[in-house]
Amino acid sequence: MKKGKPFLEIFASAVHEDYRFPILEIFAFLYALGTFAFAGFSIGSSGPEEIVIYGLISSIMGMPLFIFLILVFKNIAYGLGGDIERGTIQTYLSYPLKRRSILTAKLLSALGIALLLFFGVQLFALFVLAPGMILPNIHMVLLTYVAHCGYIFFFTGIILLVTMFIKKGGSALIVGVILYFALSIATSIVLFIAWMTGSILPIQIVALLNPSTALSAYYRIQPFDVIDWAPTLTEATLYVVGNYVIIASLFFIAYYYFSRRLSI
Amino acid sequence: MSVILAENLTKHYGIVHAVNNLSLTVQENSVIGLIGPNGAGKTTTIKMVLGLLKPDEGHVEIFGENPWDNPDLRNNIGVVHEKNYFPAHQKVLNYLERVCRIFGVPEFRAREVLGLVNLEEANDRQIKALSAGMLQKFGIAHALIHKPKLVVADEMTANLDPLARSSLLDLVLKLHKEEKVTFLLSSHILPELSRVCDSVAVMNRGKVWASGKLDELYDKFSARTVRIFTDQPEKLAEQVKALPYVEHVSIDSRGISVKVAEGKEDNLYEDTPKLARKSGAKIQGIESESTSLEELYRQIVTQQGEKQK
Repeated sequence: MKKGKPFLEIFASAVHEDYRFPILEIFAFLYALGTFAFAGFSIGSSGPEEIVIYGLISSIMGMPLFIFLILVFKNIAYGLGGDIERGTIQTYLSYPLKRRSILTAKLLSALGIALLLFFGVQLFALFVLAPGMILPNIHMVLLTYVAHCGYIFFFTGIILLVTMFIKKGGSALIVGVILYFALSIATSIVLFIAWMTGSILPIQIVALLNPSTALSAYYRIQPFDVIDWAPTLTEATLYVVGNYVIIASLFFIAYYYFSRRLSI
Repeated sequence: MSVILAENLTKHYGIVHAVNNLSLTVQENSVIGLIGPNGAGKTTTIKMVLGLLKPDEGHVEIFGENPWDNPDLRNNIGVVHEKNYFPAHQKVLNYLERVCRIFGVPEFRAREVLGLVNLEEANDRQIKALSAGMLQKFGIAHALIHKPKLVVADEMTANLDPLARSSLLDLVLKLHKEEKVTFLLSSHILPELSRVCDSVAVMNRGKVWASGKLDELYDKFSARTVRIFTDQPEKLAEQVKALPYVEHVSIDSRGISVKVAEGKEDNLYEDTPKLARKSGAKIQGIESESTSLEELYRQIVTQQGEKQK
């Protein structure tokens, strides 16, 4: 018999476990709810079309990104951590499949499906809410999405590494939640210090980890109406690029560790 | 040809030496038992052999290759872990059919292996709904699905009832004889291993304390016990105790059991008729008592433990 595709089988198996009924249905509903419920706040905003689009996208992705984060916690911290802890990964490692392929299958299931759902709902919402503005401003639409997703991807990379080091689902989940809130608090403190001292260095560091900050500063969105930092679009784009270099590095480390070092 | 070659394996967990400079060879078409108490390092050794754990020192080869992230090797290896865990929400038959597709074997093999372990009735159950014993059987079926040349099993019969254990050991013997499958079986249930293994490696404190063919180990480590049936056990025992090579004599209503020093069994056979005449006892029979694997294990641990002190 012709050999099947082990990678696809592991991927299918992971999807089956990550999104068993009604998890996918609930999260699809929450994505749709989160997208449309908050869209109302920005509809009717005045100003240049670019800023209206930026405001619309920011409003409709805020809650869905948080929902995506919940899926990251569920599928990576708790899911992958639990799989390492209980021994499912050990079982997968008895199949003729490279370690990196197993991790890819797990990540595609954990993040790929969640992102597909997220962007599907977002795209639908954009064409419903602002049908005439999307295509003419497609570069800004894309940049805004990439910038807003940057922090979540950065945090996903951190969670992935934490999970591999802890190797326990429950503990990785707790540490992940604590880290998330700690980072949020640290960001607020840094922005406050920047506001108090007038120094832009702390904001630039934050912008590297969360490039939507640079884009907000470019558009002079609150709090950058009072903080004196106004990067150009090119500079803001560079922060986005820098952020994705960091994300790529985190995922590279995770893959390297999983493939070469991780004892199961 | 050696199927598994492990040389100088060492693994530390902090200050604990889980495995300490361990070497192990498993020859093709053999059934080798890895025996030892809890915490001896059996599972850690097996994990290093399978490429799940990286040794701090030493190296492992399976079929001449490094098992760490070498996926092609796994087409020839079946693994039963001490704690089996499979994707919990999938159905038994569906998951095994998926495993068939992964290994490129026909899907009807899934039903075949479920039949081998008497688990056909659980076809449509979710894996999470299996009892501990059923999950163990499922793990064994899963390990055999691709007809591996080598099966590595850690506590394979844990959670199984005596009947299931017995039929599983029959299956091991059948696969070994008919399909030339090599087995590395770890267990602390020694009577089972003595039924199927041709060699054993005795582990304790992260080291192999003794290894080899069972017969050789019996010769080397077990102090021979000779059973003498007589009508006057007390009188005969008094005479036998005086012999210089006798280590211990126990008496019961039908005779005496005499433990002799290594290699002195024949001397006792020669001396017994003389002693019987002297004491006026009538000898009704004399035979060597066989040593169980459990006894052998105890002897090895005692002797090697004393050497290490």
